[in-house]
Amino acid sequence: MKKLLLLVVATVLVFTLAGCKPEEKTLVIFQNKVEIDDVLRDYAEAWGLENDVIVDVKTCGGDTCAYGTQILAEFQADEQPDIFVIEGMGGFLDYEDKILDLTGETWTSNTDLEFIVEGVTYGFPVAVEGWGMAYNVDILDDAGVDPDDLTSQAAYLAAFEDIQDYYDTDTAMAEYAVVSMAAASGMTWVTGLHSFNGYLSAGLGYSDSTVIDKLNNGQVDTDRLATYVDWVELLFTWGDDDILLTGTYDDQVGKFADGEAAFLHQGNWTDSSYADSDFEMGYAPHAVMLTGNDSIFIGAPSFYVINKDSDSIDDAKLFLDDLAATSEGHDYMVNKAHMVPAFNSVTLTPSTPLSAAVMEWNQSGKAYAWWQNDMPSGFGMDTLGPIYELYAKGVKGDAAGLTKTEFIAQLTAEIEDLG
Amino acid sequence: MEKALKRLRKIGKKVLYALLTAVIIIILPFILIIRIIEKLINRDILKFDSKKERGPIGSFIINNWLGETYKAQNNRVFVYFLMPALGTFLLFVGLPFIQGIYFSMTDWTGLNDPQFIGLENYVTIFKDYAFGYSFFRTALYSIMNIVVINIVAFSLALLVTQKLKLKNIYRAGFFLPNLIGGLVLGYIWQFIYNRALVQFGGMFDPSILVSGDTALIGLIIVVTWQYAGYIMMIYIAAIQNIPQDLVEASKIDGANAWQRLRTITLPLVAQAFTVAMFLTLVTSFKQFDTVTSLTQGGPATQLPLWIGSIYQKTLMPIVQSTDLVAINIYDEAFVNRNMGIGQAKAILFFIVLLFVALIQVYYNKRKEVEL
Repeated sequence: MKKLLLLVVATVLVFTLAGCKPEEKTLVIFQNKVEIDDVLRDYAEAWGLENDVIVDVKTCGGDTCAYGTQILAEFQADEQPDIFVIEGMGGFLDYEDKILDLTGETWTSNTDLEFIVEGVTYGFPVAVEGWGMAYNVDILDDAGVDPDDLTSQAAYLAAFEDIQDYYDTDTAMAEYAVVSMAAASGMTWVTGLHSFNGYLSAGLGYSDSTVIDKLNNGQVDTDRLATYVDWVELLFTWGDDDILLTGTYDDQVGKFADGEAAFLHQGNWTDSSYADSDFEMGYAPHAVMLTGNDSIFIGAPSFYVINKDSDSIDDAKLFLDDLAATSEGHDYMVNKAHMVPAFNSVTLTPSTPLSAAVMEWNQSGKAYAWWQNDMPSGFGMDTLGPIYELYAKGVKGDAAGLTKTEFIAQLTAEIEDLG
Repeated sequence: MEKALKRLRKIGKKVLYALLTAVIIIILPFILIIRIIEKLINRDILKFDSKKERGPIGSFIINNWLGETYKAQNNRVFVYFLMPALGTFLLFVGLPFIQGIYFSMTDWTGLNDPQFIGLENYVTIFKDYAFGYSFFRTALYSIMNIVVINIVAFSLALLVTQKLKLKNIYRAGFFLPNLIGGLVLGYIWQFIYNRALVQFGGMFDPSILVSGDTALIGLIIVVTWQYAGYIMMIYIAAIQNIPQDLVEASKIDGANAWQRLRTITLPLVAQAFTVAMFLTLVTSFKQFDTVTSLTQGGPATQLPLWIGSIYQKTLMPIVQSTDLVAINIYDEAFVNRNMGIGQAKAILFFIVLLFVALIQVYYNKRKEVEL
């Protein structure tokens, strides 16, 4: 009987241990940009063949997959990726214990946008992105608006009126929108993060963090907020009703891509939607301040970081190095993935319209910083976003919406709660 | 070296879990069978323990469980045979539940080392106005949803148990939406509400998903459309089980359709009502997928005054009007990274749901008629 028992235990053990056979040399990348999934996979495969590593690219992002949730699940399931993505300070604080120090890597000397905390480099900038008011050159020309004039709220108001007058001349353009902007739930990142970033950075130096620091201490810059709210009111007033109140990302960008909107409140990641668009486009600054707005918001949204507990740290470092240094890496970033690379060593220019525009603004040094990711996690999208949604309703005449005074009071109260 | 140790520990943990599972599920019954065979061969199954005086409790335990009496051996065998099922249940339901209660008392974020903080999380959620509002909206939604789904399902069931041509096709048709996943359904109906129905104007423009209360009704319409067919099947089965002699007798006595429904059909399908109400209650309270895709918890609305006053707010904060409890818990745990608080909310939710369901089943049971 004892022999029988022994046999059973032995069998079970053999099966269990068989499940833990030694692994091959692999590199797991877990990233959040759905649109570059295919090309990154191709690039990684080619790189892997050259360096004798099996690179496994996992992607989770967009509307259908919550990256933050999924990466947490991977960590908890002990399926830790070797390279993963953080989005600014919030992500860094969540994964601080897992992120490897990358100070002194070769690529760091080629960029100003690496992710640094207290002098230590942690993150490799995936790309440069930017947003402003994307405009349709054809409509602006026909309406007699010069995009170079769009630096003040008064100029925008005049431009919006001119464009509406132009639309009114032809019934075929009755459904055209002046501004394509979305504020409904699910689109709160456009309002709570991108729009609100204007309050945090417009008119300040690129590394000037006074307003965001005050915000994180629960202090409000009342005058600044009031001028910013004027700008939001202007946008909401001229925003297309349906898109503003119920629009999804596809609705918002689609309207602009079809040439039916003069302005779009989105960044250069929308480039993938313009394959069939036959008009020129460019970026104008957000008029967050009354006058003198001369830059668009540019930054690196996400960073590759290396898992400290990874078994293939050397391979991961080499992968990032090659991405920034080799011509294959540059070709992948610019021509395949249509990203604006963060590295000076890259000489290629993107072929897609809005990315090219961002690169131009960036090269002429006209950039306001990104501080929206330095707010506490969830504050922009989940706390501020719904307030914008209600204000949009108020602007569009819904009795359940907020008035301008209430809107300011709500924003103020939420910011003060952070203190 | 350190890495190798770490890896070893990782593997060790997995082996331990595998062994534990194997022991409980496979090996224990195996030992048991071997022991039974052994006993059979030795023919000592009916060997009795010598009867010493041990007092009433002691001898009860010996005679019934520990000793070698016939009864004690029998009882022990029952326990052995219970092991596979009980072990599986404990390992996959019991243990995680206890772990959950523990995590609800820690500051776990999913990545850190959880520290025990007592009932602090529970205090936090009682101060959380958004969670209070969530509960209120979920209760409101559930009540309306239960009523609407059951009325629609029962009416459909009555309809398709009449003498109709094509009644099987109708049954299949009403049941079909239940086969579509909730997420897909949400996106489809979002399009219908936001883009298609808006064209009719009137009450549909702006879209009913724009305002909080109408969005809740929109959600109920979608869920009813999806779930009524399923509940209908339960009612159909119950209606078909009604003995026809009762119906015939009542017809001969001159009862009209309404009287037959009220005095024969309704009492005799009360059992199905218990099941259907329970299912709709639980699914409404736990509603998640359809809301996620249909409204994403929105639209935003201001906290109603009476709830605000409970939480002593002067400026009513903004809340999400279809942010049902399941979604609120998910956001707390995975978006705000407060696993501990999220778990505490889940435990509270479990307790409330348990009580509501028990009360519902108790009252429904009393209405049932045994033939």
